[in-house]
Amino acid sequence: MTANQPLIFALPKGRIFEQATPLLARAGIAIEPDFADPDTRKLRFRTSDPGLDVITVRSFDVATFVAFGAAHLGIAGNDVLMEFDFPEIYAPLDLGIGHCRLAVAEPAEMSATDDPRQWSHIRIATKYPNVTRRHFARRGVQAECIKLNGAMELAPRLGLCRRIVDLVSTGATLKANGLVEVERIADVTSRLAVNRAALKTRADEVQAWIARFRTAVDARAA
Amino acid sequence: MNAYKDNGLLPEGLRDELPPQAGFEAAVTEALMRTLDANGYERIKPPLVEFEETLLTGPGAALAGQTFRLMDPVSQRMMGVRPDMTLQVARIAATRLKYIARPARLSYAGQVLRVKGTQLRPEREIGQVGAELVGAATPEADAEVVTVAAEALLGVGVRELSVDLVLPGLVPTIIAALGLESARGEALRAALDRKDAAAVAAAAGTARPLFAALMAATGPVETGLRELRALAFAAAAPAISDLERVVASVGAALPGLSLTVDACEYRGFEYHTGLAFTFFAKGVRGELGRGGRYALESGEPATGFTVYLDSLARALPTPAADRRLYVPAGTPRSQTVALRAEGWRTIGGFDAKADPDAEARRLGCSHVLRGGAATPRGGG
Repeated sequence: MTANQPLIFALPKGRIFEQATPLLARAGIAIEPDFADPDTRKLRFRTSDPGLDVITVRSFDVATFVAFGAAHLGIAGNDVLMEFDFPEIYAPLDLGIGHCRLAVAEPAEMSATDDPRQWSHIRIATKYPNVTRRHFARRGVQAECIKLNGAMELAPRLGLCRRIVDLVSTGATLKANGLVEVERIADVTSRLAVNRAALKTRADEVQAWIARFRTAVDARAA
Repeated sequence: MNAYKDNGLLPEGLRDELPPQAGFEAAVTEALMRTLDANGYERIKPPLVEFEETLLTGPGAALAGQTFRLMDPVSQRMMGVRPDMTLQVARIAATRLKYIARPARLSYAGQVLRVKGTQLRPEREIGQVGAELVGAATPEADAEVVTVAAEALLGVGVRELSVDLVLPGLVPTIIAALGLESARGEALRAALDRKDAAAVAAAAGTARPLFAALMAATGPVETGLRELRALAFAAAAPAISDLERVVASVGAALPGLSLTVDACEYRGFEYHTGLAFTFFAKGVRGELGRGGRYALESGEPATGFTVYLDSLARALPTPAADRRLYVPAGTPRSQTVALRAEGWRTIGGFDAKADPDAEARRLGCSHVLRGGAATPRGGG
């Protein structure tokens, strides 16, 4: 039965991962040595705790794995959580890492004459079509989204469409591509994501992990 | 040629249930209904389709967006295909069965159809089994419904059943008592629903410790109740003391049942007016069923539950198709009748010259009738 199977913790690859590593260490999670090997083909790793295994997936997939209960816990930015808005995910803890913002950007020369208050229909290249559509619908603007999986900043310059919605941290990438931020949609940080059914049926274990992460976050803040 | 027609492609979210699942689902439905019947919940059978305005008033309004509509060529009025049977039971209790003795105990089983599936539950047609207790508004009535539902689920073999008790009215009560403006209240409710600690902290302002405590009151029932008692918020006290009585009563009836509490959950419980609950099983994706207290159009209190057969099927192992007996051609009917009375499923052969063991294997039979006795199939 599933009762004694380890909990699965989904970690996002890439940017967030490096910031999450010290946090995991403070929460007392040591991942098996294979994990550090860049050539490993393994996707699932044991940890120092026999009750917890770690998997690494793309940041957008963390939400999907957790929503379906394939992973019980995970680390996901609220950008990803907002995009899917899965009812089966709880985000009980702000991990305080991965700070950035989700913003609308357009070419600097266009921004000089553009008045966002007059928009009725805009076309936007983004990885976040749902968040974008919802955000603009609230403002009474119909947003037609072109879904891209990366390199959004190229879209305006090459004429794919003039505006983009993307994560911005320092703004350097925007600047290098001649874009300026015109509107902020949300501030983003990484959250501890928890599967709803897991929190209900394995409450003691899952709550204990939430508490350990809370302690780890507080320790860093102190 | 029409490829869809040739391959039997079905619309999104609809499926053919095949053997053995279809038979299993029917058996599970009957077993659940037997438990409900044995507890005094009498079965009703509303129609698949009814007038839109009848279906979607009161508690049904929340499901308007999930309802398939069609025009009735006879009356020229709009009809809706039921998206949930609870609405129909509520209607019947408020109209045709208005005059029967209270509390009225009613049960139902049937298919419902929804416009959209979700990513987690893509099914658009779902089998529902449930019961409603109408005209009793005490914690003991809530406890009875939770207990009967748990008894039915345990009876069909759900293992490690867990009941999450929620108070969907608690957060709105607290928000109203604090006098928060509606936009902030909305934001708070959405954040609490997602247990998004950061968003709750941002929206709560000075009431931050109160809402943090409310989020902490989630989990196993002992700790959850302790946290809720510690809230010491006057407006919340009656709901919490009712919850305690339900917990005591369910705990006494089913001592081994795993109970959790959640003071923040609201999504999906919009029309509930009191204690609500969700059924989970360890290791099963999503919920098995849910229910709670609400008010009929007439204002009469009701509490009920509904179980989703698709989730339930995932929680139960499909039994192997056993006791299938190959009966060679020419076996007298009196003999097969007797075998069926013993519980065998008899699969008759038509070709007297065929090898019984080979035929039994081809037709998926576990046993062969030989010399008047059921014997295990030979020949591998």
